[in-house]
Amino acid sequence: MKLLSALLYVVVGIGAGVAVYWILNKIAELLPNKAEERVKPFLYILPAYLAISIYLIYPTIVTVFRSFQHQAGAEWQSVGLRNYTELLQSSDFRDALFNTVLWIIIVPALTVALGLAVATLADRLRPTSENLAKTVIFLPMAVSMVGASTVWKFVYAYNASPDSKDQVGLLNAVKTAVGGDPTPWLQNDTFHLNSLLLMVILLWSQVGYSMVLLSAAVKGVPVDTLEAARIDGASDRQIFFQVVVPQIKGTLVTVFVTVLISVMKIFDVVYVTTGGQFNTNVIGNAFFKMFNTNFDYGKSYAIVVMLMIAIIPVMIFQVRHFKQEEANL
Amino acid sequence: MKRSLRGRFALGLSAVLAAASLAACGGGGSGSDSNTVTIWSSVDAPVQAGLEKALVAKAKADGIKINWQSVKDINTLIMTKIAANDTPDIAFIPQPGVVKDIVSRGKAFSLDGVVDQANLDSLIPGVTDAGSVDGKLYGLLVSANVKGLVFYPKQAWDKAGYQVPDSIDALNSLTDQIKSDGTTPWCVGIGSDAATGWPATDWLETLIAKYGGTQGYNDWVSHKTPFSSDLVKQAAAEFSKLVLTDGNVYGGRSSIASTAFGTAGNPMFKNPPGCMLFNQGSFITGAGFFPDNIIKNIDQNVGVFGFPPATAGGDNPVEGGGDMAVMMNDSANVKKIMNYLSATDIGNDAAPTSSFISPHTDFDTSLYPNEITKNAAQVAYDSTAFLFDGSDQMPGAVGAGTFWTEMTNWITGDEDINTALQKIDDSWPSS
Amino acid sequence: MSNIEAAEVAAGPETERKDYGPAPSKAEPSRAGWGTRTVLALLCALWLIPVLGTLITSFRSESVANSSGWWRVLGNPAFTLTNYSTAWTDGQMGSAFLNSFAITLPAVFIPILVAAFAAYAFTFMQFPGRNFLFLLVVGLLVVPNYVAFGPVLNLYGKVGLGGQIPAVWLAHIGFGMSLAIYILRNYMATLPMTVIESAKIDGATHFQTFFRLVLPMSVPALASFAIFQFLWVWNDLFVALVFVGPGDNAPVTVGLNNLVGQQGNGWNFLSAGSFISMIVPLGIFLGMQRFFVRGLTAGAVKG
Repeated sequence: MKLLSALLYVVVGIGAGVAVYWILNKIAELLPNKAEERVKPFLYILPAYLAISIYLIYPTIVTVFRSFQHQAGAEWQSVGLRNYTELLQSSDFRDALFNTVLWIIIVPALTVALGLAVATLADRLRPTSENLAKTVIFLPMAVSMVGASTVWKFVYAYNASPDSKDQVGLLNAVKTAVGGDPTPWLQNDTFHLNSLLLMVILLWSQVGYSMVLLSAAVKGVPVDTLEAARIDGASDRQIFFQVVVPQIKGTLVTVFVTVLISVMKIFDVVYVTTGGQFNTNVIGNAFFKMFNTNFDYGKSYAIVVMLMIAIIPVMIFQVRHFKQEEANL
Repeated sequence: MKRSLRGRFALGLSAVLAAASLAACGGGGSGSDSNTVTIWSSVDAPVQAGLEKALVAKAKADGIKINWQSVKDINTLIMTKIAANDTPDIAFIPQPGVVKDIVSRGKAFSLDGVVDQANLDSLIPGVTDAGSVDGKLYGLLVSANVKGLVFYPKQAWDKAGYQVPDSIDALNSLTDQIKSDGTTPWCVGIGSDAATGWPATDWLETLIAKYGGTQGYNDWVSHKTPFSSDLVKQAAAEFSKLVLTDGNVYGGRSSIASTAFGTAGNPMFKNPPGCMLFNQGSFITGAGFFPDNIIKNIDQNVGVFGFPPATAGGDNPVEGGGDMAVMMNDSANVKKIMNYLSATDIGNDAAPTSSFISPHTDFDTSLYPNEITKNAAQVAYDSTAFLFDGSDQMPGAVGAGTFWTEMTNWITGDEDINTALQKIDDSWPSS
Repeated sequence: MSNIEAAEVAAGPETERKDYGPAPSKAEPSRAGWGTRTVLALLCALWLIPVLGTLITSFRSESVANSSGWWRVLGNPAFTLTNYSTAWTDGQMGSAFLNSFAITLPAVFIPILVAAFAAYAFTFMQFPGRNFLFLLVVGLLVVPNYVAFGPVLNLYGKVGLGGQIPAVWLAHIGFGMSLAIYILRNYMATLPMTVIESAKIDGATHFQTFFRLVLPMSVPALASFAIFQFLWVWNDLFVALVFVGPGDNAPVTVGLNNLVGQQGNGWNFLSAGSFISMIVPLGIFLGMQRFFVRGLTAGAVKG
């Protein structure tokens, strides 16, 4: 019965999707020709816009609206800028802001660099070895974030005993084996070490994505340009930086921008490991705690609004880039 | 073209029909069938299995089916589910603060007249306070856990000939004695990933309960008495004396915040013991905390006594927690089930096979699986009052927020106690 | 973290080729020197070690795993299958897998369909406000999806959709729409206009052009987006938890999450469960490898 019900959901879901378009198209065809041409584009984008309106536009409007309010009991009252000022005055929030900036500076660049490195190096291998290497790097993407936190728990775990035998975490086992004392890695924030370690988890998990895309881009570089450069006597490094990179710039920028946007919104890596404690907090996590633990919805919405405002410059850059591409076509 | 048209039409029609049949099949989450009662809880699997067994047996006679779901983050999820109009019939809530929130949203029904008075009378005194709002009972404690228990490694303890202390002063002396005998007295660990710091709140609550008694404790929980008060500072000073003094805790003060709470007590069982005393809740005797070989013969390996009162023979409330059943649907069937849940014998199947402890003083203690659970339960039954975990009663911003983080900051030495307490007070939500 | 960052394909015109699937450029295999091999081997090892550790741990009991590191397993092989069996039964994995499929498949196919139509409209149709509407779509990428939880839940509550499986895949459709449209539109813009033009001259309607010409040519981008979307939805915990919650409709991620006890004990079931759950996305990735390589190379990428 369960199987039947699951199958039905899939079939109904997909079938309904197709049916909607078919119906829309029929409606358009019923109209006189001139009107049909004018109306059709809007019908085509209608379902998409419906989805966006409900799930993105409407919540955004509510969020902005409510960020100026506070819920006392079951009622909402207007409090002007109070949520914002309280947040900006709170040192914890400012720390979260700073940490988020740190993540933004470090992670996207490293993700792209590592992905490109793996893509380029793997490209030189024979197909089977190449597939193997790429599958290994891609593997963490198949693991959910909760699973990833369990995986990395065994790298960062801490046990007070100085005896290497008692250590359960890989890093501490190595450290104590060479005579050091165990370190509580995730609680150590000197030079933001714990944040960096969390970034490692995200990198491990996401480089597969950039690798896949950049690998395709690298493979798309015309062989003749490479051979021409080689004939001219260029070294590998020169070929890479002066022939390959310029030709994949579009993909590089896009991968970078998409990773950047998602890092700005990041929260689950922090949420499942430290919960933002020990100076690892980031904006996304601050929102979650404000929403789910403090139940201070107004303030949580203010946090998100600030996050969205911060992402806007990135969006402007991406739009400009897109317009440039458009002009090049 | 005509064929594909017909094909598409058929597809669309079948989609609509299928949707209708799906709706008829009732593919839903919360009991669409009026003879099924849905229960959500976050209790451990063996506890749930035991309670469910007993409940199903009772409900059978009435022809009621039970659909019991394990829900891990029920405290946060229940609020979201209220907004989505997708709530169970009964929810086991481990935090009184959340019970209050549910009541304030008008989604819980009062239990007055629903459960037999005799069942309520057999509860440990004080149990019904935490689940009551404005004098009416909404949250009924079904499964309890006892906190403020001190565990010790039995064999090493007996060999050294230590005595169970009967007052806090005696506990201080015992600590010193253990230390001078060459063993580190205490094992303490408050590490818990995102929730790091909560065991420290349990420590403080126990001390506040012992020093302040029921009234002093309740006033503090309701914020009539602030964190920066003398009562709290007295408790903090005692904690500092017992645990933060140099050489009093295994691994040193600097390791407390990073040692995982669940396995923090395990050095007790080393030979020679890494420590002698471990303050934790009764859940610690379940699987996954003490080593398996210790649990196999737990009564020979582990002993327990209740955290002593401030003065010998004086007021001795015990701190504890548990899961309170909240009625979110007032149909006749659900009311019957609530009444069954309130009976003393509902725990008869859960007790022998899990860490379940009954909050009823007339529970058949021979059903507990081992001496240590029995003793832990007895601590509660012998106490003068059962005080629900304070941080679980406070608003989330404090109880699951600053109380945890400020305690951690104090213990790691990043902050002094006065700053930490002041910060907690400042974070108390104003509305 | 949204993995909908799917195949951003090409931002550049195609090279002049007769077929639409170019031969991937490849440096001569002999270029793989020892330096390359060592670096890659090292990276792969680093990548795999944490996974290996968890795999070994999933075969040990909680108590053993808490007291000795997994690398000691050779000296103390206390292998047990209980983690897996408990994760399967207590987590109701059989039913959870079905739920996961019921949630993931529509959440993958429907956004593709809807976004493809919209992308087609934005690329090949002229209408007033086209640029503005498209920029609005792109602009909405800044909205984090957790913003929607509160307001949408309220909506679901009023409509009575809460806790039903459609609640989740409808949400995933909404959340992924912006990126899907953006990516597909960019890809479609690289398709040769000449072919489309000639189809129009031949009298094909937009509908026909879409289904018979544009869609088949866009298969690489569609497939790539599908794979990433599948991964994202399959591994998602929070959207499922909030919109469907625990119960009969819980997918694998929610079921596994509930295996962990009130005090955090039982995480060993989570490690076993993660591996059980990983099988499907891995299978999809391995099976669709060829789409990846071939798909994304359609159209040389130019800076």
